[in-house]
Amino acid sequence: MLGLCGRRLLAVAATRGLPAASVRWESSSSRAVIAPSTLAGKRPSEPTLRWQEDPEPEDENLYEKNPDSHGYDKDPAVDVWNMRVVFFFGFSIVLVLGSTFVAYLPDYRMQEWARREAERLVKYREAHGLPLMESNCFDPSKIQLPEDED
Amino acid sequence: MLKYIIPTMMLMPLTWLSKNSMIWINTTLHSLLISLTSLLLLNQFGDNSLNFSLTFFSDSLSTPLLILTMWLLPLMLMASQHHLSKENLARKKLFISMLILLQLFLIMTFTATELIFFYIMFEATLVPTLIIITRWGNQTERLNAGLYFLFYTLAGSLPLLVALIYIQNTMGSLNFLILQYWVQPMPNSWSNTFMWLACMMAFMVKMPLYGLHLWLPKAHVEAPIAGSMVLAAILLKLGGYGMMRITLLLNPITDFMAYPFIMLSLWGMIMTSSICLRQTDLKSLIAYSSVSHMALVIVAILIQTPWSYMGATALMIAHGLTSSMLFCLANSNYERVHSRTMILARGLQTLLPLMAAWWLLASLTNLALPPSINLIGELFVVMSTFSWSNITIILMGLNMVITALYSLYMLITTQRGKHTHHINSILPSFTRENALMSLHMLPLLLLSLNPKIILGPLY
Repeated sequence: MLGLCGRRLLAVAATRGLPAASVRWESSSSRAVIAPSTLAGKRPSEPTLRWQEDPEPEDENLYEKNPDSHGYDKDPAVDVWNMRVVFFFGFSIVLVLGSTFVAYLPDYRMQEWARREAERLVKYREAHGLPLMESNCFDPSKIQLPEDED
Repeated sequence: MLKYIIPTMMLMPLTWLSKNSMIWINTTLHSLLISLTSLLLLNQFGDNSLNFSLTFFSDSLSTPLLILTMWLLPLMLMASQHHLSKENLARKKLFISMLILLQLFLIMTFTATELIFFYIMFEATLVPTLIIITRWGNQTERLNAGLYFLFYTLAGSLPLLVALIYIQNTMGSLNFLILQYWVQPMPNSWSNTFMWLACMMAFMVKMPLYGLHLWLPKAHVEAPIAGSMVLAAILLKLGGYGMMRITLLLNPITDFMAYPFIMLSLWGMIMTSSICLRQTDLKSLIAYSSVSHMALVIVAILIQTPWSYMGATALMIAHGLTSSMLFCLANSNYERVHSRTMILARGLQTLLPLMAAWWLLASLTNLALPPSINLIGELFVVMSTFSWSNITIILMGLNMVITALYSLYMLITTQRGKHTHHINSILPSFTRENALMSLHMLPLLLLSLNPKIILGPLY
């Protein structure tokens, strides 16, 4: 009973930040001493040794002040807006609308037209008995060559 | 064309007049909208280019490069936000202005009709890039890197100016659309040999060709992330684009003039891939990987067959996205560990698993895994070089093996294995970084569904 009450009191004292012991008591039968902590209320001391793996003092840790930082800015409001701008304009507008635009490009470089035209010409030439293709690009009778020199 | 130039110009007053908290949001938003409008260029005809005016035109070769340029600006802005957060406001705005100016010059370079205008814009892109590298780079070597970058490219391109003025005097016009119909076969003579060299050396330095590549590892490594991204993704492709345009004027002597450069590129791609296997610096590895991929593009352009041109164009776009993504990944490592040494931040898969997924995808596309467009480009180039000369298949095959080796080496060193004990202060990945990676990867994956738009004018 006493132990339970004692434990509850200690817990209350701990959560409220009170020192667990407010007066100094020394046991008469043993060398046990309960004393208020000398460290209560004092800040932890600065580390005396700097290790290489400690973060550089001039590096600011963006997560320290703003644990939800997106990495853009120290100010959380600007940070969130920057993230939103990048995601909306970068992904939702450019990537999505851009890929749709590229996917639905009409007949890029007229490849489909070229295929249809070729099939049409082949059909015409086969129907009329003409050769499918001439080996001359240009009409030879229209080419004027210079005179042969001796 | 003004529908791209004027919005890009107006991004400048947007940065300078925006509120302090809104500069990044405004510029990212508007540059994303400009990249959406760039897709309108895809309305290409089969027998002609889109001729906007006397000064600007775009055909199936410049369109994918333009879309890539305009897509990359918002990505560069997102990538730079963290390392610029400590700078004062005027410097941030200046940095963004440099990026916008570079974007403007690049748009005008890719759409120039008149070759002198192309040359002026080609040189003009050097200035903002130099400022970005030397002012915002991270190490003292950035000054040397800027020097190498500026003078290599400048020295290579001054003969091009002389050659272009000569062509203007002899042919009467440097308007590319007219020139392609007026061009006469170039007879073989000493002066024409030098003319060929003068025209091509600017682009060889820019690509870069293996013997002239010393500026690239320096510039890529010392540049800040936005500088590395734009260098790897676009500025290298300026060389490829220029070569594809200028070779129209240089036939038929290209048939034998190209031999030394084909040999240098074939040997160089194996050499630079092997150098990658020995790198300790992560960004340096990605830079040499760029040289190796671009050597493939040089070979493809110089053998001048329809398949090789298709492969070259596809490879340029694919490499642009992949290389930019790799640099962003390397930067995400650098921002946490402040060192580019690969082995310092190992075993990241257990700490940052989502970033490990992006590392995996980037490495897989870098080694040309099917069905990505990287594979389409490399396959077309390998097939066309095989038909040009059977022996090249050995070199190409060896290059693909070594590319796979160093890509997997990079992946395994940074992601797999036990993580080092000193990186327990690594922050989790930001939404910004994941968004950046997916904005690189999604276009790459979507293009593998519809690669006809990146196969260039000979499709």
